[in-house]
Order: sequence, then C-alpha cells, then structure tokens
Amino acid sequence: MSDESSGMHLTLEIWRQDDADDRGRMETYHLDDVSPDMSFLEMLDVLNEQLISGGREPVAFDHDCREGICGACSLVIDGKAHGADAETTVCQLHMRRFKDGDTIHVEPWRANAFPVVRDLVVDRSAFDRIIARGGYVSVGTGSAPDANAIPVPKDRAESSFEAAACIGCGACVAACPNASAMLFVAAKIAHLSHLPQGAPERDRRVLAMVDQMDREGFGNCTNHFECGAACPKGIEVETIARMNREFLSAALRER
Amino acid sequence: MLRSLGNALASSVGRKLVLGATGFLLVGFLLEHLHGNLKLTPIPGLGDAEGEKFDTYVEFLKSFGAGLYLAEIGLLLLFVAHIVIALKLAMENREARKQGYVVRSDRGAKTVGSASMHVTGALLLLYLIKHLLDFRFDAGFHESPAAFVAETLSQPVQALIYIAVSVVIGIHLSHGFRSAFQSVGFSHPRWNPLLVVTGRALAAVIALGFAWIPIYFLFFHG
Repeated sequence: MSDESSGMHLTLEIWRQDDADDRGRMETYHLDDVSPDMSFLEMLDVLNEQLISGGREPVAFDHDCREGICGACSLVIDGKAHGADAETTVCQLHMRRFKDGDTIHVEPWRANAFPVVRDLVVDRSAFDRIIARGGYVSVGTGSAPDANAIPVPKDRAESSFEAAACIGCGACVAACPNASAMLFVAAKIAHLSHLPQGAPERDRRVLAMVDQMDREGFGNCTNHFECGAACPKGIEVETIARMNREFLSAALRER
Repeated sequence: MLRSLGNALASSVGRKLVLGATGFLLVGFLLEHLHGNLKLTPIPGLGDAEGEKFDTYVEFLKSFGAGLYLAEIGLLLLFVAHIVIALKLAMENREARKQGYVVRSDRGAKTVGSASMHVTGALLLLYLIKHLLDFRFDAGFHESPAAFVAETLSQPVQALIYIAVSVVIGIHLSHGFRSAFQSVGFSHPRWNPLLVVTGRALAAVIALGFAWIPIYFLFFHG
C-alpha cells in the first residue's frame, strides 16, 4: 500500500491487437489507486476510462453477466485461464488477490480455433457450430408435458446437472497445452446423454459433435488434465473418458 | 459399417482409443520381454549367471518357427500404429496453437511424464532401432544369445545407454498407463487414485527391472 492512497499501484502488460490481421503486441500500462475490492473487470474498466480520457483506444475484452454464469469473460492472467483462483471466472476474481506493485500479464485465449477479433476478444463461434451439430434434444411442441412424466433417477439427474454447469467459456481450450476442446464437447454431450430425453439422438450426437470439433481445428487431448484444473465450473476430466466410451459404442453401433 | 468405423477411428477420439489400446498391448509385451530378459541374471527360479535359462527361452521362442515371425509382424504393427498416431497427434497439437502465450503457467495437473511424452516417445523410437540392430539383427546374438548379451552389456557405454533408456521407459509409462485407461474410456472417481498409483508402480517396476540387467552385467557379472 502506498502512503498517499489506500489503493494499489499495478503494472499491466496487456495484449493489444487491432484486428485479426494485426500481428499484435504486449503493451504496458500503469494504474494507480486500484481498490482491492474491485473485480478484475472493474479494474480494466478503470483502465479504459483512463485510456479514453487520454484520447487512446480502450482495451477490448468480453464480458456480460459479471456473475460467473454466462461464460463471456475470457482472460488469461499471468498464464492461467481466468486467473489463479480455482473454479472462478475472471469477473469473480478480485484485486485483493494481487499485491501492491504487481505486474500482471493479460492475454486472450490462445488457439487457432479461437482467432483474436481484437485485443483480448476472441471468436468462440467454433463452440456454437459444435453445439449446432448435436447439442440439443428434439421435443414435441404443443401443450406442456406433465411434470415427472419421464422418470429420471436422482443420480442421473445430478451427473447431468454437473456436466450442464459448463458455461462454454473456453477456459479448457485456453489451458490445454494442446488447445483441445474435449472437456467442453464432453460436457455438452454428457449433460444430454445422461437423461432419457437425450437418448433418441445419443449416438448421432456424439459422432457429429466430435466430427465438428475436429473440423474446427482444435488440438487432440493427451490427458494432461489441465482443462479440468482450469474449468471455472469444476467439470471433471472423467467426463472426457465418458465421451470416449460413448464415441466408441456409437461408432460400433452405427449402420 | 466398416467404413464408418474406420472414419470414427481416424477422428481425434478414435485415434486416442487406438493409442491407448496399443499402449496397453505394448505394456503387455514389455512385461513378457522383461520376464524373458531377467533369465539372464541369477534370480532363483527365473535365471542363472551362466545364461542357460535365457538360451533355453530363446530356443523355446524359436521353436514356434513361422509363428514367431507372425508374432513379430504383429508386434511391429503395434509399434508402428502407436508411433504413427502419436507423431500425428503431436504435430497436430503443435499446429493447434500457432500463436502461443507470452506468459504460460499450468495448474499442476500436467506431470513430467505427460509433458514429455513426445520426447520420451521419440527417444524410445531411436532406441528401438538401436536395440533391434544390437541383438535381433546381429548374427552373434543368434549363435550364442546369453553370451552375446553379456559381452554387449559389459561395455560401460552400452550399459549406460540401456540404463538410461530404462528410466525413459519409466517416465513414459508413468503417464502412459493411467492415460491409456482414460483414452479407452475408463475413469471412475473410486478407481482413479488406484490407477495413478498402479501406473507409477508399474512404471517403476518395469524401469528398475530393465535397468537391473545392464547394471548386473556392468558390476556383478563375471
């Protein structure tokens, strides 16, 4: 803590890139009087206000709910996706986790399948295309079905819900040494295939979503398990083994 | 159906499955290979210092005639599949993140074994070629197997190479065994800790077992 103010003085090394074609570079910024109660994104807001008032371009970064549930925020802080806290998105990371005088490196998710749009914003539409290939269930429209018309065992409901906690932020890809998307794809497959409602499209789903994942140019999983350690929602790497299993049985059953 | 199965096995998940399955079979081969090689050293009930039990074992294997060649071809295919897939995956993974991080920090899930699979794998491939040239394709070995091994491994440089490679195998398996289970789809919170321990123990047993043979010939034989 400095003598004059209660705030922290920070040095920020931030990735700046004008657009997808720009080569990009790290730029250094100094920020004084950072409150330890600010969230990381609020700290970036303060930086941007300072940049704008100085007539400079603000740092572009993705954010939406700022409650840790939307999956929009996506920063690699000092080499860790979403920063060093376990099971925490960047928006829920607070400046009290840093020390006065710290230098903080901020970079975008890095993967060919997630091209940088600008600064810290990456294009994650590869995930949307994977979902579009099978991350849904078909339901009859019309009047609402009776509650509990389809019995779901409690443990199945729970394991499905655990997988459904995935917010699709892409931290698994960012943290994977191979830029593999298998934890995301496995979670999206698992949360539907654990339920009877997901059964009719089960085989088709896993084959199509894995196919789309491969087309998007993600890397291959080699079981480092860094994805599970980085996931802000604590999705277990066991989910990937389940996907492998499901993929094999679907491939064998396919006619 | 076969075509679609072929496509499935060529996918990222399919190749993982094949890599894991061939890995398991290669571990099985390694265990039998170790069992056979330990006959070179005086272990009660297994081997003797004169190498008689080892020579008998070699004769036993050769008694299969064409069957042995078939087994060797099968083994070769296992190695080729395992190596080709691993190389392809490693190259694709390098491509998947062309622009890397300026600062990179992992969360401790990555291990020395997992991070060095491509390095240990490449070293083992080079070693495999050397190993085959040393023994399998050397006429001296086929004339008098145990004596030839004793002569080769009594040379300090050779012995040190073989000891070093045993360590490399151990590092490779410290990740490989556990990883293969995950790749073929086996993962369960109750069994995973046991798999990790078993994998490391197996890696240590195989590494120490193979290292023991050159150590024996370097320091204790003759």
